[in-house]
Amino acid sequence: MDASFLDLLMAQQEEVAEAEGGGGGIWVVADVVDGQVAPVTLEAIGAARTLADALGAYVYGVLLGDGVTDLAQPLYQAGADGVRVADHPSLASFGVEPYLKVLADLFEAEKPEVVMFGATPQGEELAPRLAQRMGGGLIEHVTAVTLDEATRTVQASVPIYGGEFFEILACPEARPQFLTIEPGAFPEPFMDPHRKGEPKTLEVEPVEPAVRVVGPAEGFEPPVVPLSQAPVIVAAGRQAGDFELVKRLAEALGAQVAGDRGARDAGWIGPDRIVDVRGVTVAPKVYIAVGIRGDTFHNAAIEGAGFILAIHPDADAPIFQVADLCIEGDPKEVVPALLEVLS
Amino acid sequence: MRVIVLMGRVLDPRGIVVNRRRGRIFVNVEEYIIQPADRCALEVALRVKDATGAEVVALPRGPLPDDDVLRQALATGADRAIYLTADKPYDDGAWTKVLVAAVERLGGADLILTGATTLDTGQGQLGPRLAEALGWPQVVDAWSAEVADGKVRAVLHRGGEYVAVEANLPAVVTVQPGAVKPRYPDGVRLINVYRGVGEVAEALETWPVADLVEVESLKPLLERRGQDFPPERERSVRLTGTVEEMARAAADALRERL
Amino acid sequence: MDFTFSPEHQALRRMIREFAENEVAPLAAEIDREHRVPIETMRKLGEIGLLGVCFPQEYGGMGAGETGYCILMEELGRICTSTATNVGAHIGIGAMAIYLDGNEEQKRKYLTPLARGEKIAAFGLTEANAGSDAANIRTRAVREGDSWILDGGKVFITNGGYADIVTVLAVTDPALGPRGGITAFIVETQWEGFKVAREEDKMGIRGTSTAELVFEELRVPHENVLGKVGEGFVTFMKALDMGRLTLGAACLGGAQAALEWAIRWAKTRNQFGVALAHKQSVQWMIANMATEIEALRSLVYRVAWLVDTGRPFSQLAAMCKMYGSEVASRAIDMALQIHGGLGVTRDFPIERAFRDARIAEIFEGTNEIQRIVIAANIFRQHGVRIRP
Repeated sequence: MDASFLDLLMAQQEEVAEAEGGGGGIWVVADVVDGQVAPVTLEAIGAARTLADALGAYVYGVLLGDGVTDLAQPLYQAGADGVRVADHPSLASFGVEPYLKVLADLFEAEKPEVVMFGATPQGEELAPRLAQRMGGGLIEHVTAVTLDEATRTVQASVPIYGGEFFEILACPEARPQFLTIEPGAFPEPFMDPHRKGEPKTLEVEPVEPAVRVVGPAEGFEPPVVPLSQAPVIVAAGRQAGDFELVKRLAEALGAQVAGDRGARDAGWIGPDRIVDVRGVTVAPKVYIAVGIRGDTFHNAAIEGAGFILAIHPDADAPIFQVADLCIEGDPKEVVPALLEVLS
Repeated sequence: MRVIVLMGRVLDPRGIVVNRRRGRIFVNVEEYIIQPADRCALEVALRVKDATGAEVVALPRGPLPDDDVLRQALATGADRAIYLTADKPYDDGAWTKVLVAAVERLGGADLILTGATTLDTGQGQLGPRLAEALGWPQVVDAWSAEVADGKVRAVLHRGGEYVAVEANLPAVVTVQPGAVKPRYPDGVRLINVYRGVGEVAEALETWPVADLVEVESLKPLLERRGQDFPPERERSVRLTGTVEEMARAAADALRERL
Repeated sequence: MDFTFSPEHQALRRMIREFAENEVAPLAAEIDREHRVPIETMRKLGEIGLLGVCFPQEYGGMGAGETGYCILMEELGRICTSTATNVGAHIGIGAMAIYLDGNEEQKRKYLTPLARGEKIAAFGLTEANAGSDAANIRTRAVREGDSWILDGGKVFITNGGYADIVTVLAVTDPALGPRGGITAFIVETQWEGFKVAREEDKMGIRGTSTAELVFEELRVPHENVLGKVGEGFVTFMKALDMGRLTLGAACLGGAQAALEWAIRWAKTRNQFGVALAHKQSVQWMIANMATEIEALRSLVYRVAWLVDTGRPFSQLAAMCKMYGSEVASRAIDMALQIHGGLGVTRDFPIERAFRDARIAEIFEGTNEIQRIVIAANIFRQHGVRIRP
């Protein structure tokens, strides 16, 4: 069916009438990474949209940086009704005091009901200071929200012990309600290409950040995490074929490399990296078994893993009985495809 | 120079089993450990003490049912520990007020250290809240921290690499869990502080929160509304389609969890 | 009756458990494979005060009493029998002899650095002709002015290969025998005339030094006589008495480890469609192991209480050693059986535990001697002096 008429219809849509502000609303402070709006910001706007519709409130985005004015458009497309931009050389890189000044002045004037940040290094530093300054409550690493409509209170789910279960917290009285949104927890919102807007510029008074970057950390050795405590592991078995691919996958995910006994025999890993009840028992959040057939001694050693992805050419491989997600295929084809998608 | 360390405890997750289907949490072994990131913060403080002779004072990072964490801090080398007693479960927002008053009663400090994140709730707001309340700079998620010439120098992980930063004292620094290997307590100090004998036991003081702030002005900002459980694990889900389609589905699943 | 440990002992146990799991466990397999003593572990233990756990703080110790010492031995025994043995020989018999019968001067000079872990001790009793028949030693000490000249040697001395201080038992008057003719000496191993002749190559506890010592005109100053001349035998027997209790504690730890391994394997291993834990024969083995361990635990800490409160403890300490070594052997044996074929492979710690456990029934007084001690005590209470 030719749906091009829909495009024509929607192109008639007016530009979003810039929400005036002046009280209330759900405000999302954007993270800008490598010159782009971070996915978590768009996800937060999507979450804000659902809450806003139930509250009868507007969603606003806030951009801070240098040369970021054009980034307002994705925020509109994700669902923001208004965007405020603080575009100034003094905000080129993140600093607590300069960013805080802009936001504190803005929010003192706008009096938001809810303020969302990404649960990112920037959000982690700004949200608590802002909450403290404004007397608001802060709930961090939120993975789901519902609304208590009677009191206009957001009920936020927070993962406990890394997600073993969730606590639902709320800030019933203090305003604004501050939340930091966990990246990847909320769905990517529908980006409506016809939604456009004219962001409002904010005045920026340059402020010196109190923490100064001196340079690269000379001679700093990051602590070594033992394999048994590694949060993400990519493990190779004989059928992985090309160990370099396994190493690249691990690097892309920030994971440690391990293997089964077959990987040891192939000379790919040392004896201290064998995942096996006779070797190292692991309990990562994510375990990716590449070409590991999965005998009982290996499988028993990954019982504590939170999520297991297994790739193996043989449909009957025992690993598929314990893995959460199974890909029957040749690791030499699947891993490159995975690397492609992840980049 | 005075260095304050905020420390708390958490139920050891190794003793907990979660039944997702029934939505129940079973505590098989009820054992408490010091927040791992707070232990690293104490270690950083003790290294500053080793280098500069600073006084290290341990304070609770929230209401504690007993002074065990503070005794551990003294046994490990803190010079003083103050058990701030409260009868309500004040959260970070309310506790910040208590800490500001405690710091004032101590006569100020040059550096406040605490863990960057809690093992159970994953919250890291206490350090920055306190920094804001005191009007101090904050260095968050530090992998190391040292003091020299009235400044704190720390290593942070920014933009994929480790960078050295510095800020003028007084400052608040939050320390990554696993940043440093915490030292063991000293045996003699341990025995004496738990027996309540000697100098080390005298270094433990108790200050009721009501002596520091107007208790009526302390109100927890957050409320617990319930619990939720992740969906039951579905094993052996086979992806189908082309290699590219399967890779995309797998990548989505991974992104959700990483 | 309060069966809980005091707060300081609970805190001590937590600290030692963490130390044992982080510092001792990673080396356990390696020191067995390489047959080497983990001297670095002794140094780390010394740094946090654990090598003086039961000695008073005024002599550089921790002041945690025999209860604290039992906790140390139990937690170390749970992780590495070799390490527990090294520590036991240093604290429980080597330094203990000086603590029991040393004068003030000797305690300040020797006990303090030993308690602080700055020096390591060994206990020089056993000789080729004198094992259970300890009074049959031949090492001779002859007075010469203000010194004694020692000639002879010792065998099977734990820590002998690297100790700084050895308390040595020697014959000072052959005519008098153990009543008045044997004297204890504090010997510094760097003195002229002291030699380590060889190390035993053993089936188990391969992370310990079991050395043959030779004394050739070894000059020992008179102020290093430990206790009174001629009363050394009593000193050494007292030290062994104390040592029995803590060896029982180490066996408790070893048995506990075996139980933990057995439970873990029973949960993990599936045969005939179910985990081994669902098989009655395995359940009974676990139940038997657990019961004996609880009984041993009660005995060990009751005897620790007897010692710490100044009550008589000899008979029950002998029971600790005898029962403890046998409980540990049985528990490890059952754990090995539960592991099946894997139990004898080097991949698991059980085969090492199996090799390590056997000596406990023999050294520090064979279980036969322990039974005689127990029976002698019992009959004496009933008016009979038995002649074994």
